[in-house]
Amino acid sequence: MNLRAYAIAYLIFLYAPIILLPLFAFNDSTIIAFPLSGFTTNWFVELWETEALHAAVKNSLTIAVITAILSTLLGICASRAAAKYQFPLKRPIMGLIMVPLVLPEIIVGVSLLVVFVQMLDWSLGSWTVIAAHTLICTPFSIAILNGAFQNMDTSLEEAALDLGETPWSTFRLITLPLVMPGIISSLLISFTISLDEFIIAFFLTGAEPTMPVYIWGLLRFPQKLPAVMALGTILVVLSIVLLTIAELMRRRGLRRAGLKDTGGFL
Amino acid sequence: MTAPIIQLSNIQKYYGDYHALRDVSLNIAPGEFFSLLGPSGCGKTTLLRTIAGFEEASAGTLVLAGQDMAGVPANKRPTNMVFQSYAIFPHLSVAENVAFGLRRRSDLSKSGKAALVEEALAMVGLAGFGGRAAHALSGGQRQRVALARALILKPKVLLLDEPLSALDKKMREQMQGELRRLQRQVGITFILVTHDQEEALIMSDRIAVMFEGRIAQVAAPQTLYRRPVDKQVADFIGVMNFLPARARHAGDGIEVDIAGLGTTALDGEQCPAGRPQGAAEVGIRPEMMSLLFEGQTAGAGQSVSEGKVVEQYYYGDMTYYDVALPDVDQPLTLSMKNLVGRPVLDRGDTARVAWDARALVAFPA
Repeated sequence: MNLRAYAIAYLIFLYAPIILLPLFAFNDSTIIAFPLSGFTTNWFVELWETEALHAAVKNSLTIAVITAILSTLLGICASRAAAKYQFPLKRPIMGLIMVPLVLPEIIVGVSLLVVFVQMLDWSLGSWTVIAAHTLICTPFSIAILNGAFQNMDTSLEEAALDLGETPWSTFRLITLPLVMPGIISSLLISFTISLDEFIIAFFLTGAEPTMPVYIWGLLRFPQKLPAVMALGTILVVLSIVLLTIAELMRRRGLRRAGLKDTGGFL
Repeated sequence: MTAPIIQLSNIQKYYGDYHALRDVSLNIAPGEFFSLLGPSGCGKTTLLRTIAGFEEASAGTLVLAGQDMAGVPANKRPTNMVFQSYAIFPHLSVAENVAFGLRRRSDLSKSGKAALVEEALAMVGLAGFGGRAAHALSGGQRQRVALARALILKPKVLLLDEPLSALDKKMREQMQGELRRLQRQVGITFILVTHDQEEALIMSDRIAVMFEGRIAQVAAPQTLYRRPVDKQVADFIGVMNFLPARARHAGDGIEVDIAGLGTTALDGEQCPAGRPQGAAEVGIRPEMMSLLFEGQTAGAGQSVSEGKVVEQYYYGDMTYYDVALPDVDQPLTLSMKNLVGRPVLDRGDTARVAWDARALVAFPA
């Protein structure tokens, strides 16, 4: 009984703030407070009509898509190398690649700012954000793809070679289809991470803010707060959908390879 | 022997400091069912993978069907392999798996390929299974798909890496018979890697026994079993009792004085490792000795010793006994078929053991 009460309290603590988002997004008042005053979709309409927001969303989507592709490509190379080859210092090297996973983002943001602006003399913009997001997303891609590549029986590739295929056609016909669910999962997760990443983007975004940076800017105007709630609602729904698809893909990959599920992100 | 299909000459393989294959030389004839037999880690799989092209020999030459294989990758070799895990492509159907090797055959029409696939599936007893998903197959069925997939390319040599080790006993025995039948039917050279000596004996025309990267003996099953070239081989193939003895040359053969059993003469053919002089060991297989029951007398040329049964193992068709003989250090293991009316002795019973000097082999100690 106690355990159940604890579990419920825990879930409320975890999810209540998120449930408040849609609640106030549809509330007909600029003041974020109970009691609710009525149902409205005005805040969503307002989002639709804000040009600056559209630019920020477009900016974020572009960055997220390119980041997802880059980090997944890097992830494929790294996890394939880790699964297939033995080389000196393999564990330290793989460990080093995974470090951004636990590095405070503020440190990454500040140090990249120094490198880009002071040392390389680049101007800030989407490309600097993409570079930084690729850095923090690649470890996630590797974590997902490592599973996909390591679960694959290496004799499958040997069998394809043995049956007359070249190394490249073997990769295309056997390896790629078998790790495809992992690749899609990696694309979706890095896309999601990049889309809502704030701290690094705040440092490196320059004159073209990403969506989280734009939202942060809105917070200075209390009357804009319900619109932020509406935007937050959309983002939460989108994140849940994408992460669910990613997890389904990962499980499908395991099933294809005929393996038991042993964890994962969700 | 006709021109060999495979000639291995002085093959060496190193992994860093580890010497995995030590000067392996071997000729295998076309159409032969050849087995590489040895305990795990003896290099048999490495040798098979070297023939397939997945490993490159550190030194030595490999000639396959008259062509030197140096620098020839696996996909260009006239060999196909059945993997231990079967390596069935899980995302393809049974028919797509079997047809995989035909992808590059532009001379075949689509229907021509389909006919070949159906023929290959029928050959392994899976007619009509083409549409099934690969991951829905049982172990035995996956094994058959792997066979069909390799045989459809009509390779010069089929390589089988412990193909039966993942199957249960009944299935394994059934597949042993089927593999043998299939090999006779297609006439392709089969090279089988196994650690199961019984499997090698049942299936092979010839067997190479390997220990620690070197070949200890290459022989037909009967020779291997009856005249093992050294104690290690004798011990690995089946069961053999070893008794300390003293030997001296006598005529073409030797005379051995076996501790506790007396002196007897052996001919040269009973000394596969050369005639021992001085300290020697004499080996005898369990089924080459027999128990004499009440009223039975020893046959011509047989010697009899009386001892006690110290352990009894009942197998159904056979009974194995450990019998302690006076003045013999270790109990001897012997086996008797459980024939109608033949009693099964218990522990502690007195046993009269009859043995024949012709069944002995002698090794230098």
